[in-house]
Amino acid sequence: MLKKLPMAGRLLVASCLIAGGFVVGCSSEKKPEATKDSVESSEADSSEEAAEVAPVHQKVPKGSTGIVVDPASIEWETNEDAPMIGNPDAPQGGTWHDWMGSYPLTFRLQGPDSNDAFAGWNRSFTMDFALVRLHPVTDEFIPCLATHWKVMEDNQTIYYKLDPDARWSDGEKITAQDFEFCYDMMLSPHIVDPFYNTHFDEYYSAVEAVDDYTLRIVGKRESWRPLYDYGLWPMPKHIFEGKLDENWVRNFNLQFQVAAGPYVIKETENGQRVVFERIRPWWGDEKRYFKGLYNVDKIDLMVVLDSDRALDHFKKGELSHFRVTTAKTWAQDMEFESIQKGWVHKKRVFIDYPQGLYGFAMNLQKPIFQNKDFRKAVQYGFDFDEINKNLMFNAYFRAVSAFEGTEYENPNLKPYGFDPAKVREHLAAAGYKTRGKDGIFQKDDGSRAAFTLMYGQPGLERHFTVVKQKYAGLGIEVQLQQLEPGTAFQRGLEREYEMTIMSRTTNLFPSPHQYFASEYIKTTNNNNIWAFGTPRTDELIDVYRFDMDKQKRIDAMWELDSIIQDEAFYAPFWQAPFVRLLFWDYVVWPDGFFPRRFEQITDWQVMAIDTEKEKALAEAMKAGKALARDEIVDVDRWGVKAAMVQAGGN
Amino acid sequence: MQLFRIDPLTKKRLQRFRRIKRGYYSFLILVILFTLSLFSEFIANDRALAVKYDGKLYFPTLKFYPMATFGQQDEYGFDDVEANYLGLKTELRELRAEFKQRMESFSGTEAELIAAEPKFARKDGWVLMPMVPFDPYEPDFSYDVPPPNAPDGRHWFGTDGQGRDVFARLLYGFRISMVFALLLVVLGQTVGTIIGSLQGYIAGRFDLYGQRFIEIWGTLPFLYVVIIISAFFIINMWKLIIIFAIFQWIRITYYMRTEMYREKTREYCLAARSYGASSWRIMFRHLLPNCLTPLVTFTPFFIVGAIGSLTALDYLGFGLPAPTPSWGELIDQALQSDNRDKVWLSIAPFGAISITLVLVTFVGESVREAFDPKQFARYK
Repeated sequence: MLKKLPMAGRLLVASCLIAGGFVVGCSSEKKPEATKDSVESSEADSSEEAAEVAPVHQKVPKGSTGIVVDPASIEWETNEDAPMIGNPDAPQGGTWHDWMGSYPLTFRLQGPDSNDAFAGWNRSFTMDFALVRLHPVTDEFIPCLATHWKVMEDNQTIYYKLDPDARWSDGEKITAQDFEFCYDMMLSPHIVDPFYNTHFDEYYSAVEAVDDYTLRIVGKRESWRPLYDYGLWPMPKHIFEGKLDENWVRNFNLQFQVAAGPYVIKETENGQRVVFERIRPWWGDEKRYFKGLYNVDKIDLMVVLDSDRALDHFKKGELSHFRVTTAKTWAQDMEFESIQKGWVHKKRVFIDYPQGLYGFAMNLQKPIFQNKDFRKAVQYGFDFDEINKNLMFNAYFRAVSAFEGTEYENPNLKPYGFDPAKVREHLAAAGYKTRGKDGIFQKDDGSRAAFTLMYGQPGLERHFTVVKQKYAGLGIEVQLQQLEPGTAFQRGLEREYEMTIMSRTTNLFPSPHQYFASEYIKTTNNNNIWAFGTPRTDELIDVYRFDMDKQKRIDAMWELDSIIQDEAFYAPFWQAPFVRLLFWDYVVWPDGFFPRRFEQITDWQVMAIDTEKEKALAEAMKAGKALARDEIVDVDRWGVKAAMVQAGGN
Repeated sequence: MQLFRIDPLTKKRLQRFRRIKRGYYSFLILVILFTLSLFSEFIANDRALAVKYDGKLYFPTLKFYPMATFGQQDEYGFDDVEANYLGLKTELRELRAEFKQRMESFSGTEAELIAAEPKFARKDGWVLMPMVPFDPYEPDFSYDVPPPNAPDGRHWFGTDGQGRDVFARLLYGFRISMVFALLLVVLGQTVGTIIGSLQGYIAGRFDLYGQRFIEIWGTLPFLYVVIIISAFFIINMWKLIIIFAIFQWIRITYYMRTEMYREKTREYCLAARSYGASSWRIMFRHLLPNCLTPLVTFTPFFIVGAIGSLTALDYLGFGLPAPTPSWGELIDQALQSDNRDKVWLSIAPFGAISITLVLVTFVGESVREAFDPKQFARYK
């Protein structure tokens, strides 16, 4: 995740190698932006290229003013019945130690440099406290800064009633004006942040404060998920008002942010650490959906260059918990003393996690892949189990659906398994009937069953060479072409490839339109990199986009999913729907560790530190005394693993 | 050829070279290793050197034999895939053992048993595997632990991250590096010598503009150019040699140019000219043999450079496409954080590179010493 061996460093090693005889002017200051992905990021996290652009709002009816009503007449909706998220009896206090890959360049949350790992932390203390939240287990909307809401009949106008208890970390009240200000601010050129500028321009028509605690938001278009599309977070108007000018980026670069959440930056040690402190009492302490969350008093983030070193820091006891990101570490390095003595526990916690698209993409505009039988032959020749077993310690699960991990994935799909007989059958059907002298199948006209696999992830090379050997044995030649990551990505978008790697992140709601709509076939530079689309699939996508009936949307997506699988142009790789955790005995978790949707509520929110146990552990360690060892490694509260085992994983 | 006729001076230099033991032996070792590596297919290969089966001899090293030839079948029931020679060897050994066992309890003669069970007719077959029965591409997943696996009797240098034999990859990588370096240096030096000589001989405006061009050309960041070019083409060895050569020729032009400037003012050159010899003849027949010293002395160092560059490029992932056996790729694997405890992955390629480069450098130094007119000077 955070571990990157910068290309500059690699060039340095490389130029040492050249230093023997002739060095032809290789300037050492120039650093190509490309970085070599760490292996596990390509193995587990299916996302190097964040491309979640979600152009839901292309056909925007401009100037929509929405519905205006008298707030007094509104029948407000709320949700106080969903299960609690945290454990209300969790112990409070303690310091939690974690790490980050680099010291933040800024404490701003918008503008240049505000997208590093630290910003993720910082953001979750402020912007995660929006009007409403999705319940991380039931996916229902639950109150956050708004206690009540009402979506109008146009599915575009929403009224929110704000929580009058809500306070900024400096004690000021959070009012509707702060949301209004947020809208203005995100559209301002002074924040130098094109992402927010575009997003707000595309999504919002109006954000108005009706009174201090009533807010009216009008979206740019009708939506079946208006609370999701038109949720908003506040910005502290009393801090920024009048200061939002061309100097804003500079002036607020190293200012600690005022937060709506329970933590604020307490102290920093330049280049070394950032410490957050819990606000006590915090306005949300007694709210139903915040109870049992945010239990620790301090969050101490220290800078550690890579995860190998972070693991060492963890073993020394300097970090409270550690997420293991490589299969190898998990398989081979997990028997150190502290684990054997029960001081440290290891858990693999399964979560329901939208996986995004990650797999081989075949270009339907290239002659060789226009034949569906050939595509199927390629599908049946992909031996996932061999790779998983021999290169990845059997750590991962085969992905099947194009919408893996969302409620729109078709649970009835079975992966194409490795099946040489089927490969033969489909090759023959595609016209590749005889083996050439090199063992590769060819058609009667001499054209060979051969294609080029272009990729930009150096970490995947070892997987692909094994895949190549396997295909060669089956009579299909795969030529590997590794490009600089940016180039490979761009050439994918331009469809200048035969086979490449499709790697995109997703959120809870898949966006099939950008990936599979036929309107994108005519042009390039879009996410429909396979050039797929039929009238039928377009219909299905439109059902998903516009139909208000959830069951219809699900049916449509299931059908789309099975069409995609049958068309065989996308061969999904693997998914890692779990978090591998190491933590010291004093860290306390709620039952089942995480809620189902991990990306909304993560470690730092649910965990707690038991200071009594912390003392006991320190004594036990001093005495060298073993504690009870917890032998159960897999935690599958949500039945994710069970479902996958049933679908034919390992 | 006249050009390479051994004149007394050259002979003397060669003798001097032979007397410098360090360089001379390095040269011999390199030649032997390189010659051996040309026959890598016979040293490390998963195809047998020779097979005797059903009374017939096969030499599969350079030829594809399907499994059907040897009565084999893969686990999916196909017999037209490549034969498995290691498997065949085991199979035949087991057959012989079984035959022996059966003979003990069998009353008749060997011939009678064979007549009773015809499969024993094949017991006299044998498989001669190469010294290392693995090729540099095929993964060996027969261990309990996923690769890389540490060196053992099966894989002398261990296996790499994909379960491929490290020794086989080093060997084939050595051949590729050497062939690459030699071809590159020949091509680069030829072009560089011609251009440098022309500059020195013609001089004047040609030299002036040529020199400016070279200066500009020389500042192009070579690695980046290769990375950019590799985005447009699928690189193979020939393309890579040409791309390298485009930059490689520059260095030698400086030396050839100055040599020519000096030599063309000598009397023998004037004499040749007064006889009416053509410029071409003067340049390459009369002047060049007298300008050879820099060419010969620099060449080994250029070879060192070429091997280093190829390794560097492979290390960065922009050299020869995977899965070409390559030292740079092995180093890359060794330096990945997952493999930092797998020492054999780093020792093998670093050792191979160091040894090769040291040997070539020894040769280079000795050649320089041998060609040095100042016999007793010492370089410090």
